[in-house]
Amino acid sequence: MGIEEKVPEGILTTSLDSVINWGRANSTWPLLFGLACCAMEMIATGTARHDIARYGSELFRASPRQADLMIVSGRVSNKMAPVIKRIYDQMLAPKWVIAMGICASAGGPFNNYAIIQGVDKIIPVDVYVPGCPPRPESLLYAMDLLRAKQRRESVGAWRNVEEPLAIDEIAPLRI
Amino acid sequence: MPLDVAPVVRAYETQRTLNPPGIPALAPVPEGETDDTRRICEQFGEDIVVAGLHNGNEVVYVAPGQLKALATFLRDDPELSYETLIDVTSVDRSHLPLDGEARFQTVYQFRSYSRNQHLTVVADCETEPDSDGASAKIDSLTGVYQGAEWPEREVYDLMGIRFTGHPDPRRILMPKNWPNHPLQKQAPLGGEEVPFTFTWDDPEFETLGSQILPAESTIPDLPPGMSRQNMVINMGPHHPSTHGVLRLVVEMDGERIVSIDPDLGFLHSGFEKTGENKRYKDFVYYTDRMDYLSAMSNNLGYCLTIEHMLGLEIPERAQVIRVIMAEMQRIASHLFWLATHVLDVSGTGMSLLMYATRERERILDLFEMACGARLTVSYIRIGGVWQDLPDSFVAELKDFLRVMPQKISEYEAMVTEAPLWQERLIGIGHVSAEDALGMGLTGPMLRGSGVDWDLRRDRPYSGYEAYEFEVPTSDSGDCYGRFKIRLEEMRQSVRILEQAVDNLPGGLYKSNNRKVALPPRAELDVSMEALIHHFKLMTEGFHVAPGFFYHGIENSKGELGFFVYSDGSARPYRLHVHGPSFNNLYAIDHISRGEMLSDVVTNIGSIDIVLGEVDR
Repeated sequence: MGIEEKVPEGILTTSLDSVINWGRANSTWPLLFGLACCAMEMIATGTARHDIARYGSELFRASPRQADLMIVSGRVSNKMAPVIKRIYDQMLAPKWVIAMGICASAGGPFNNYAIIQGVDKIIPVDVYVPGCPPRPESLLYAMDLLRAKQRRESVGAWRNVEEPLAIDEIAPLRI
Repeated sequence: MPLDVAPVVRAYETQRTLNPPGIPALAPVPEGETDDTRRICEQFGEDIVVAGLHNGNEVVYVAPGQLKALATFLRDDPELSYETLIDVTSVDRSHLPLDGEARFQTVYQFRSYSRNQHLTVVADCETEPDSDGASAKIDSLTGVYQGAEWPEREVYDLMGIRFTGHPDPRRILMPKNWPNHPLQKQAPLGGEEVPFTFTWDDPEFETLGSQILPAESTIPDLPPGMSRQNMVINMGPHHPSTHGVLRLVVEMDGERIVSIDPDLGFLHSGFEKTGENKRYKDFVYYTDRMDYLSAMSNNLGYCLTIEHMLGLEIPERAQVIRVIMAEMQRIASHLFWLATHVLDVSGTGMSLLMYATRERERILDLFEMACGARLTVSYIRIGGVWQDLPDSFVAELKDFLRVMPQKISEYEAMVTEAPLWQERLIGIGHVSAEDALGMGLTGPMLRGSGVDWDLRRDRPYSGYEAYEFEVPTSDSGDCYGRFKIRLEEMRQSVRILEQAVDNLPGGLYKSNNRKVALPPRAELDVSMEALIHHFKLMTEGFHVAPGFFYHGIENSKGELGFFVYSDGSARPYRLHVHGPSFNNLYAIDHISRGEMLSDVVTNIGSIDIVLGEVDR
């Protein structure tokens, strides 16, 4: 998708890795996307006291195509699940997911017909944050863990990531 | 394809043997008579099955054929003049000893603002065999009260009762291919077994992922009444200005809106079904997560309902602490509304978000002092509050109250007179008083249209009658009027808080009734009796006498009501939540017609919705 496609196979990319990962880890733009209670704490993390801008993540993007990080902030219902899957598919690689709160991680108190017991059943998750809802500090710590993970990645890992189908292929528009 | 929801049976949660003999039982018939029930009985005679007082509410049981006539009479009779239908819900009584009575009942809450009266109407549903579980039916009241449309759709969706004559009988919360009506008693709670094993072969993993509805790529239907001649665009459920996961299908003719069809249920979490499977005291924690911007008010509304059914006296100090918490929560909720409203309207105005959350954080700090949590507090419990206020709380609150009025003025100075702000709000989202009453709007949406009504003043609870405050109203009926009302409400809340904190009495912070409220922790070490009470409450909970009760409180968004039907056991037989945002959001179609697309965003902000409460 990005620079990894331009680098020919078989080239050692150690120094390149560290430069690119430095950039990625310091400006991970989250998706502007809130589900439930945890979204309030996510917004609180974005405001002045907790100030997620220190992580270079203050720019919440409303379009999935401009976002690197999806923070699943709340419970995922059966009706919402296909939407989340599609939004995740629309994000361009490299992309990461934080399951914020116990609902997104494992269903939490809502073990019933409506709520999916963990968003990891539909999309891959990088960091799980416990709490109901997690405090802003917890989310910042999750960002720390994510940065540690990003720094360890190799640009090659994101090479040839499977492209999602275009919407027209999934459900052709009928007029 | 039917949904493979595995019924999770947990012996400790479903044991019925704990019930005393004669339980479960039906709600007893109402007794006595009042002016209103007498007038109704005179008019309808034999068609009124029984009428009277039950749990302090006026209740009328009506024959199903006469429901619509009764509703028309309630609205139009000058001696009754019940202007508004607050809530519609239903009870599936199939697990009760019915003795040949109808299985489904619908329950209606009528309100007369002019006479300060509340009336509950119950009607049996006619049952006839049907294939898809939706076997009961009853007349729709949409022709009499416009606001019945969404609540009736919700009853159909969750309970499977068909409303004859309903203009739009679709599902409202669940996906359209959902296989059952979840609130019917034979429908399982669903969910998954929590695995405690690391072996994949273990049967504990059998239910893993099985409750996910198989996703099919379906082409979205054109909502009824919309035309392809116009442009139909989709807003949400992932949209920055819909305050959560609301989806609006907007039909537009050029730049003008023709109609809007909101699609709800993206955050439907099964609160009501979960509540029926929890003990009374355990549902308090769930109420936090409904309207997560006013958790304290939700706690309060639920606890007051149960306490009224128990006939529990609340100590004076607990009452005042509750008022303090509820009013702080109102300020916090309004601050967040203001911040997001300005952000939505301007598109880029982040500064007010930063300022308003600065004050909101102070309130959350105070919550944290009292109970250790910022957002999902569960501080108000049945019988009182969880713990007494810490010593430094009052001083800290006083300091906050000293600062807050200046801050409100500061925010007002930033936007109220700004020409762009006025341009975007004045005359937008207009709703007249008649429409507001007909649609069942509550809270600032109602007061913004000139109806002078506030449950805190007019039907006081928790000792609100002891405080002096004003109820701001506006005759303009537009977004600007509602904006000014909410700003003034913050000031009035500060005023209430000042009075409460100055007159905070000493004494108990929760009821001394050990059958309902837990004994203090220190007592457990010295008293065997306290230990037994603690054990009984924690394992079995307390029983509530058979009957039903509706109680509404004024939260920051409008009337938050809880309807509880008890069968005498330790868990609610039916628990229904009337969320103010749900009814208020119904107005979005009405108030946005003929306006621009950008005004929809203004209207959503002005209605002040929280999707956790709309979808429940």
